[in-house]
Amino acid sequence: MAVATRDWNALARRSRYIRQFQNAVLISFLTVISIPVVLPFFWVLTISFSARTGGVESAVLWRACGVLVPAVIAYVVAHLTLKSVRRRLFAAAALTLLAMIALTVTVGNDLHLNNYRFLVNPNLVEDLRGAATAGGQFPWVWEAFFNSLAVAASSTLFKVSIATCCGYYISRYNFLGRSAYLQSLLILEVFHPWMLTIPIFLVIFWIGLLNTLAGPILVLTVIDLPFFIFIMKGFFDAVPWDVEMSAMTDGASRRQAFWHVVLPQVRSGIIAISVLGFIRGWEEYVFVTALRTGNSYWVMSTYLYYVADDVMGVDYGLVAAVSVFYMMPSLLLYMFLQRYLTQLTLGGIKG
Amino acid sequence: MAQIELRSVSKHWGPTVAVDGMNLALENGEFVAILGPSGCGKSTTLFLLAGIYAPTSGDICFDGARINDVEPRDRNVGIVFQSYALYPNMTVLKNLLFPLRFTSVKSEEALRQAKAIAELVQIEELLERHPSQLSGGQQQRVALARALIKKPNLLLLDEPLSNLDATLRLTMRGEIKRIQRELRVTTILVTHDQVEATTMADRIICMNAGRVEQIGTPENLYRKPDRTFVATFVGSPPINLIDGHVRNGSFAVGQKRIPLSGSCRDADVTLGLRPELISVAETGLPSEITNIEPMGREILYTAQSEIGLFRFLEATPQPRMALEDRVRLHANPEDALFFEQETGSRIEGLSLAAFS
Ligand SMILES: Nc1ncnc2c1ncn2[C@@H]1O[C@H](COP(=O)(O)OP(=O)(O)OP(=O)(O)O)[C@@H](O)[C@H]1O
Ligand SMILES: [Mg+2]
Repeated sequence: MAVATRDWNALARRSRYIRQFQNAVLISFLTVISIPVVLPFFWVLTISFSARTGGVESAVLWRACGVLVPAVIAYVVAHLTLKSVRRRLFAAAALTLLAMIALTVTVGNDLHLNNYRFLVNPNLVEDLRGAATAGGQFPWVWEAFFNSLAVAASSTLFKVSIATCCGYYISRYNFLGRSAYLQSLLILEVFHPWMLTIPIFLVIFWIGLLNTLAGPILVLTVIDLPFFIFIMKGFFDAVPWDVEMSAMTDGASRRQAFWHVVLPQVRSGIIAISVLGFIRGWEEYVFVTALRTGNSYWVMSTYLYYVADDVMGVDYGLVAAVSVFYMMPSLLLYMFLQRYLTQLTLGGIKG
Repeated sequence: MAQIELRSVSKHWGPTVAVDGMNLALENGEFVAILGPSGCGKSTTLFLLAGIYAPTSGDICFDGARINDVEPRDRNVGIVFQSYALYPNMTVLKNLLFPLRFTSVKSEEALRQAKAIAELVQIEELLERHPSQLSGGQQQRVALARALIKKPNLLLLDEPLSNLDATLRLTMRGEIKRIQRELRVTTILVTHDQVEATTMADRIICMNAGRVEQIGTPENLYRKPDRTFVATFVGSPPINLIDGHVRNGSFAVGQKRIPLSGSCRDADVTLGLRPELISVAETGLPSEITNIEPMGREILYTAQSEIGLFRFLEATPQPRMALEDRVRLHANPEDALFFEQETGSRIEGLSLAAFS
């Protein structure tokens, strides 16, 4: 029986077409479903630069988005098709320039920076409504900004350093109750911290940290710890023990071996949980409001809530500008360090 | 350089006995190989010497002093791990400088020593690379250089050649031996490859299941194996072993009787005879060829005799014999070794009086 000879070229051509078709369908699908996610972001951005006191010009909104959305889609396509970094950068620069020109032409006259006056004007509320409105208690945005920074940065510092030490210890030492300890770490994840708001309030009240920034810093540190310890344990498990032993026969003490040899190898894990921890602290709202009685401290989330609150009369331009200012740090952090976050799934989470 | 001693050292992992009452003494500057099958406790012995594991019982002595409680960092031992264990976050140069970081050596002097050791193992051009950018053989050289840079008392090599290809293994075998001779550092090489052990070491420690089976020169282990295990583990192709009994001064298998030289009480014994020592001749043990395996330079034949299967080597490249040929096997009767079946120990002074 003769075996039918195959037309290899035709087969190859067919599978190439199928692959290209599948890619095209996938990219279109992702683009379509990402529009509702991306669009509000552009709205907020446009509103913050264009809205005049009170109202929002929806015509401006649509025209601006009509420029920005195609520009972003064009860049995504360019990013997927161009392989070299230099070409991608070139495409990005060209598209930015084009978008700028198009924006100037379409909405140029409507753009202004007035909504960002809160950055330079310490007496925002007083100027708007007269001194009595907020009882003179509403702060300048920078005070809230630095408070948020303090909460996010110090809670991150605490949880990352504690999680690193604990993760190392659990990964390397066999102590009594080790597996029970590991299981209890996971069980803690079952309880959402908000369920514990009242006990936490009482504890913070009793130890006298109510109405201080130390309260939310402490609570945020504790809430994330179990999960972070678990992640760091996974990263330490992935470091071969013989590298550490080699350092110790090379003359290092255990601490020096940890510091010089083991720690650099879990760097991406540390960066990843730092980003997660920082964004968590930066965005925190529930506990910063729960642990103050009155206006003892302001952070960015409470500031935004206050600006958006009725007391002010809703000024969309101002709310949008504050929102843009508020999301900038976490957005930048995420953009520059996201490659470490994606490693969480690789080296990270495993028993 | 130091004189190293293990005095009935044991290491237990719960119920597992990894090393069982090991006694060992190394001379200054000696090159010793630990040879044994996988899981027999070779790596554990090395880690006991390096101080990574603490012995369950027994003493480890350097230059006569007991050092059980001395920290690994204070023992001045250089070790090359099976996986090389280079520091992935440092360049090759930083890797080499790492052991000097914790000593009083000045940084220019350290740099000079690093350059010198890099030259010795021939990796001068690689100093700025990271370990992930090196081939297996290069990594191995870096690991060796790092173990040597602080002039260790004792150099420990844990199967350093097992990750290399055959040609590179041959080169590195010579290299390691050259470097060891140049530096005269006391060295222990762990391997499960008998060729590696016999070609490189002055003495071989043959281990099995945590116990030392025999310590001796490669020659000694090959010609006068103390135990059946050593006889089978050393030598390739493996030794011919034939089970039988001593009956009234002759070796008995089934109906066949072969006279013995030397005296022995009646017992169950095993006859051992190396394939290299058997040849085909006019007179001798009648046999029939059952298998022919050409191995390039020589041919390995298998022949069925009255007392059992014998494998033997013929140096000619062309088969002189065919399957089912009837031949006579010849061997010097005094080359035959006898082992007690019960204990596995060799019976000193017993051999055959004739081989026919
Ligand atoms: N950390 C440990 N915990 C429990 N048992 C261990 C440990 N390390 C080794 N063992 C056991 O001790 C025995 C000897 O192990 P060892 O690593 O010394 O073998 P080896 O001779 O080096 O083998 P290989 O040639 O495969 O490397 C093995 O049975 C092993 O299972
Ligand atoms: Mg081993």
